[in-house]
Amino acid sequence: MSTDKRYNRQIILSEIGEEGQQKLATTKVLVIGAGGLGAAILPYLASAGVGEIGIADHDVIEISNLQRQVIYKTDAIGKSKAKEAKAMIAELNPLVKVKAISEKVSGKNAISLFEKYDIIVDATDNIAIKYLINDACLVTNKPMVYGSIFRFQGQVSVFNYQNGPTYRCLYPDENLNALNCEEAGVLGVSVGIIGMFQANEVLKMILGIGNVLSGKILVYNTLNNEQQKYDFEKSDIQTITREAFEEKYNKCEVEEVSFELVLNEMDNDEVLFLDVRNVDESPKISIKNQIQIPLMHLENEIEKLNKNQKVYVFCQSGIRSKIAFELLQKHRFKNIKSIAGGALAMKQLLKEEIKI
Amino acid sequence: MIEVKYFGAVAEKTKCEFEKLSFSEELSLQKLLQDLNEKYEFESLTFSVAVNQKIVPKAVDYALQTNDIVALLPPFAGG
Repeated sequence: MSTDKRYNRQIILSEIGEEGQQKLATTKVLVIGAGGLGAAILPYLASAGVGEIGIADHDVIEISNLQRQVIYKTDAIGKSKAKEAKAMIAELNPLVKVKAISEKVSGKNAISLFEKYDIIVDATDNIAIKYLINDACLVTNKPMVYGSIFRFQGQVSVFNYQNGPTYRCLYPDENLNALNCEEAGVLGVSVGIIGMFQANEVLKMILGIGNVLSGKILVYNTLNNEQQKYDFEKSDIQTITREAFEEKYNKCEVEEVSFELVLNEMDNDEVLFLDVRNVDESPKISIKNQIQIPLMHLENEIEKLNKNQKVYVFCQSGIRSKIAFELLQKHRFKNIKSIAGGALAMKQLLKEEIKI
Repeated sequence: MIEVKYFGAVAEKTKCEFEKLSFSEELSLQKLLQDLNEKYEFESLTFSVAVNQKIVPKAVDYALQTNDIVALLPPFAGG
């Protein structure tokens, strides 16, 4: 069979065999980031016959990428990295099913995306996304193959492997200041070497051979070829639930607007001004399309409001209206804004209006 | 005598990848880190600390022994 021929040189390894090849063919790997690390990882996973590969990257190819992102051709500048990488794999090994994901990986899509794969590879270039990937891996119970670079040094580890230690166990302080390649500079071979270590960990995990870099971080220096392994332990405080994940990454941002900007909408019948103060609070505000529902009753009386109407919510000083905003958003109101400074700011402005 | 290894952005601050330090009296890991911070002004840099190839919790109170190797490992971000 041609498949056997294609993979013959690895099948004849006693550690792999037909059985190992079958394991590769039935595994789904998501590679996040098709930059320097991804460009090293992707062709090797594809050539080895990993069954399905997802490539998540929302960037387009730039000329300054080509020195290290060796899978891209010069005439692909300006094109989507995820799509170009997919095309590269299709030529390299048509047996691999590939999905290009050009959407940015975020708190909104990470969990549903990770659920479709067995192994998540972190080939990204900033710290914030590494914490997000780590947390989403914890929620979905997937191993995370981590790699990163600082100039001529690289780090590799596998987090959350069989419930093992995580990125947060190694780096509990979420300091987002570390430099990426664009800022620090990097030689193509350095990301190549570290990406290759990551691909190796992926294959070992799938095949069940060797010792996975779980609970260990490998630090490699390309200038002197020194490598060190450091052990670290799982910390109980670094677990994260699905609820905590949603709270951390998908907390809605309250949209505030200054009353001055909505003055011209005061007589507009399509707009509703919602006062969430208690009835005895002053100053009183009287606007044409106004309704008063104190915050504590808002959830019970939410039926009184039209979800499709534009709602400006206000309170005394702009604090309770933010809570009301979140409540309305939870109930899927489409167009809500909180008035900054609340009734106090509004009254001030209304007085000035009258004077003019 | 102990050895301290520096990696990544930490090594850029120290301008060396390792150094040997001698100490006369008892030296705790916390005191060593405090001294290094004063000497090199790590400021906003974060790093994990390993003693003899094992990452130790930040708050750990450990009395350094002769021949211990301490490593300062900042997170890397490039890719």
